[in-house]
Amino acid sequence: MPIKYGVPSDPDYNERLREFEARIARGEKIEPGDWMPEEYRRQLIRMISQHAHSEVVGMLPEGAWITRAPTLKRKMILVAKVQDEAGHGQYLYHAAETLGISREAMLEALLSGKAKYSSIFNYPTLTWADIGTIGWLVDGAAIKNQTMLAACSYGPYSRAMVRICAEETFHHKQGKEMVLLYAKGTPKQRQMAQDAINRWWWPALMMMGPHDKDSPNTEILVRWGIKTKTNDQVRQEFINEHAPEILEAGLTIPDPELRYDEATGNWIHGPINWDEFWQVVAGNGPMNKERLEARRRAHAEGAWVREALEAYAAKKQKTAVAV
Amino acid sequence: MDTQWPRWEVFKQDTPHKPHQAVGSVHAADPEHALLTARNVFARRPQAVSMWVARAEDIYAWTREEILEGLATAKADTGLGAACRYLVFRKTTHKRSMTFVDHVGEVEATSPEEALQQAQARFTDSEALAWWIVPADKVYQSDPSQETVESWFAPARDKTYKQQQFYATVGSHISKHKVGRGVEDDECC
Repeated sequence: MPIKYGVPSDPDYNERLREFEARIARGEKIEPGDWMPEEYRRQLIRMISQHAHSEVVGMLPEGAWITRAPTLKRKMILVAKVQDEAGHGQYLYHAAETLGISREAMLEALLSGKAKYSSIFNYPTLTWADIGTIGWLVDGAAIKNQTMLAACSYGPYSRAMVRICAEETFHHKQGKEMVLLYAKGTPKQRQMAQDAINRWWWPALMMMGPHDKDSPNTEILVRWGIKTKTNDQVRQEFINEHAPEILEAGLTIPDPELRYDEATGNWIHGPINWDEFWQVVAGNGPMNKERLEARRRAHAEGAWVREALEAYAAKKQKTAVAV
Repeated sequence: MDTQWPRWEVFKQDTPHKPHQAVGSVHAADPEHALLTARNVFARRPQAVSMWVARAEDIYAWTREEILEGLATAKADTGLGAACRYLVFRKTTHKRSMTFVDHVGEVEATSPEEALQQAQARFTDSEALAWWIVPADKVYQSDPSQETVESWFAPARDKTYKQQQFYATVGSHISKHKVGRGVEDDECC
């Protein structure tokens, strides 16, 4: 499938851009093979590959707790959840590949430290309650974003998001159930849940990215239907759903300025520490080094499997049956 | 940089009477590996009864935009060699979906371009937004025996804790928190 894109210096660029934008306005999906502006392609590759890397790195903080799950039921849930994240990474790499970037190039960018991924995964998971809180708040924030992206104008990205949202709701629900259970539990369980909320609340709010006024990409992304809502809109949706639920559970939110605004029906949050956000993005978060090292180690230790499968395929001519 | 192997497109059939649908792709060294990986990536949830895989480079794809621009006919080169079977896949809607093209049938033709022309003439019940034409001998299927179908696809169906409904009774319904907007507040008294 050839990738066809145009740049403003092309003689027919303006005309094609008009047709392209008219298609998006009509609610049509742009599919591989269709003409697109180079900038549309570039923005999508940036977003989708970062998103894919986030799913892959996102397995690490939770994977670390599989062997320490308190019951068999919780262990099975966590195994299934981490397995889902691996699958979500695959869906997204596939979507990015339809834009003409190879999976090798994307993995290389991740392992070399050149690529970005969601900064939330550079925080440590200190207790078992973090696993529930990640499901409830981190996946809760992710779902808000992903539900918005499921409506995006690029067909392959939209389809990956629809598939991911359907599976991610389980991640959100199991986390919420766990935290609510601990909130009703022993004083120690309660304290553990509160401690986890205290540590994950602000990083979860940062997941939607900078405020709209500091997000230079937003305008073009909204215009081309890649995003259908701004960072601040998605963040507000997240807070409006989760703040009252946390409070109802008898837990507190580590934001002294948080208040409900009668006029708008919104929960208004206090200032976000963007210095911390940019520090983590720049690679100085608590776990950046460990995460990257774990990815590199997994890739290196899997090399023999890739080599063995390749040798097996070369030896065997044809094994499966054609339709 | 090491290889991630060739890319294979994956088609999943949800129930025996539904068509195989394109769900995404995997990287694999051979057809058997591609099917195993496809099963792990795309059949972690119900429903599935069968999967097909085909190497991405064996798939001939056209969007409506490309056909309108005459790209399909420009490439047409009929009369080469004997006729062979091609599977035809088509996308007909812009609606939100998890899947891309659906399997609609097969044609016999001497080239993929001729197969496309036949498909356009035969499958006319709705407008096509995209077509995929794949030589039938390049499409590999999962083992259709009952034993394999069970062992491959039943576990996803039985693991109900992977479904959000498993946790449905947690906390209050969201509408309870929408102050002044929910209908429930009024209904109680």
